[in-house]
Amino acid sequence: MRVGFMVGILGGILLAHAGYATIQYRGVLKIVEEEFSRPPMNVVVELLLGLAFCIWAALAAPAKFRSIHPDSEENRIVSLPSNLDFMIFNHRGKVFPCNAEYKLKK
Amino acid sequence: MVGASEAAQMERLESQVDNGGGGAWEYLCLVRKLKARRSDKVLKHGLSILNDHRARSKLGAEEWTLYEQVAFAAMDCQQYDVANDCIALLSKQFPRSIRIGRLEGMLLESKGAWAEAEKVYARLLDDSPLDQIIHKRKVAMAKAQGDLSAAVKLLNKYLEIFMADHDAWRELAEIYVSLQMYKQAAFCYEELILSQPTVPPNHLAYAEVLYTLGGLENLQTAKNYYASTIALSGGKNTRALYGICLCSVAIRQLTKGRNKEEKEVSDLQTLAAEALQRDYKQRAPNKLPFLLSMLKNMKLNS
Repeated sequence: MRVGFMVGILGGILLAHAGYATIQYRGVLKIVEEEFSRPPMNVVVELLLGLAFCIWAALAAPAKFRSIHPDSEENRIVSLPSNLDFMIFNHRGKVFPCNAEYKLKK
Repeated sequence: MVGASEAAQMERLESQVDNGGGGAWEYLCLVRKLKARRSDKVLKHGLSILNDHRARSKLGAEEWTLYEQVAFAAMDCQQYDVANDCIALLSKQFPRSIRIGRLEGMLLESKGAWAEAEKVYARLLDDSPLDQIIHKRKVAMAKAQGDLSAAVKLLNKYLEIFMADHDAWRELAEIYVSLQMYKQAAFCYEELILSQPTVPPNHLAYAEVLYTLGGLENLQTAKNYYASTIALSGGKNTRALYGICLCSVAIRQLTKGRNKEEKEVSDLQTLAAEALQRDYKQRAPNKLPFLLSMLKNMKLNS
């Protein structure tokens, strides 16, 4: 997870740097009085690299993804909760020997 | 709804706590969340936490929830003094609370003093006439005294007011099944399926009631619901697989005299049989011969 965070921060820095470089490039173009069609190639490469890093970090940094299928092996409902609101106490457990050592100390 | 992973986690924690490893508090929280009824284990481990001064102070405000949980468990295991002590401590901390009053009523119930419990509940109902749990306790008292028809009447009256309480519908369905009033039980299960359509045990129970009722349409509907149980539980429900095989056999016997054109081609039964065989080979290979002979009998009888 640590690696994921680092890669994500690196990706963010790359994107910010690409943005700054594009703004500077536009400034240079204004001086030279040319049209701004698209940023230079290295900035485009930097953008794509930053995108890849950020996507990888977004998938790797959080913890293990949980399954969303209701019938998957972890999620499938195995039993209903025993209806504790209607619990009755005269069951066959009464004939179990009484464990006298259970006491609540004060 | 107890998922498979949660059930496995609870088993693991239980064995861990039983063998002396730590984690008693997580185990108790999980039991409380999943509403499982493990009263002996809860009593043992809950008391071990409560009797240990340091562990108890670590809990902070949650120790009162633990007292309540241990009181329930003590009542279930007939340790009335423990329950009494817990309730006394709780009522000192929260005087005149309805929740504690309910606990006192349940303690009287567990001792068998029905009349006094009735009086306690009547007094509590005067203060708050719409308390759901007290109404349910009255139903439980009628059930415990063996008066199932009174329990049914009370539960019907309760459900007229609180129609969305699926626990109560389930309880009513189970009481009807024990009274062999299957049509009414089917109605209750239909309500349950309406409110919780993705819970496989409801479909399974409905299919079983329909199979018990018998008759061609009921059997066909039962087969549909067994199939939906299998779909909802990812194919792991052995009982539903058996149900499909048995329904197919019963339908075939009922439609023996009719035209062959009406018979639908269904590989459902063969698929279910194959899935059963695979399951047994994996989990209980020494019982596989019984399964194979039973499946052969079913095919021969058709």
